[in-house]
Amino acid sequence: MKYAALLTNNADDVAEWEKMSPEEAAAARADEIPKWEALFGELGPTGALGAGYELDSPTTAKTVRVRDGETIVTDGPFADTKEQIGGVMELNCEDLDQAIAIAARIPVAFKASVS
Amino acid sequence: MWESLSPEEREAALEQYGVFAEEAQQAGVLGGGEELDASSNATTVRVRDDDTLVTDGPFAELKEALGGYFVLECDSIDDACGWAAKIPAATYGAIEVRPVYVDEGAQS
Repeated sequence: MKYAALLTNNADDVAEWEKMSPEEAAAARADEIPKWEALFGELGPTGALGAGYELDSPTTAKTVRVRDGETIVTDGPFADTKEQIGGVMELNCEDLDQAIAIAARIPVAFKASVS
Repeated sequence: MWESLSPEEREAALEQYGVFAEEAQQAGVLGGGEELDASSNATTVRVRDDDTLVTDGPFAELKEALGGYFVLECDSIDDACGWAAKIPAATYGAIEVRPVYVDEGAQS
């Protein structure tokens, strides 16, 4: 079974990142990378890991709606939520329980959620 | 929103998705994508103080629930918005367009 893990970040954390200088942001990111590399290193050989995408900050989002043939583009994400999607990981798992076990090990699960 | 469409409307939308995918593919824009099962089938996982909390349902209850995603290779976000407007869900829901993060210093 194929599952899509939707990775979220807390809006408060996103707001903090937005305030950081590029140097601070790069350092904060560097701190996080070993956790992700450890997970990918472990999942890679199991074949459970499909395609994945990390999204740029919600502030870079544009939302497109078409109504009565007219295209309406607004700045920002489609919904203002406490947890915002930050990435997608495709998981190839035997069942939902295995997908949940993997999701619980994705670093963002500790601060926000994996859906 | 999908749930409120009649069988005929769903069939028409699916046909339009086929048209969109073919057009995007031929233009060399389509990089991937997945359709998601209904958000009522979602499970949300959070880990707090080493406890894994598993809840039924999506991470947020929204008027517009996430139904799928496309990966589009475009020169600019405006180009991507142009393609997004051709996705059938744009006519009854919304398409959020966001750059995929590129770490300019990374090798991966």
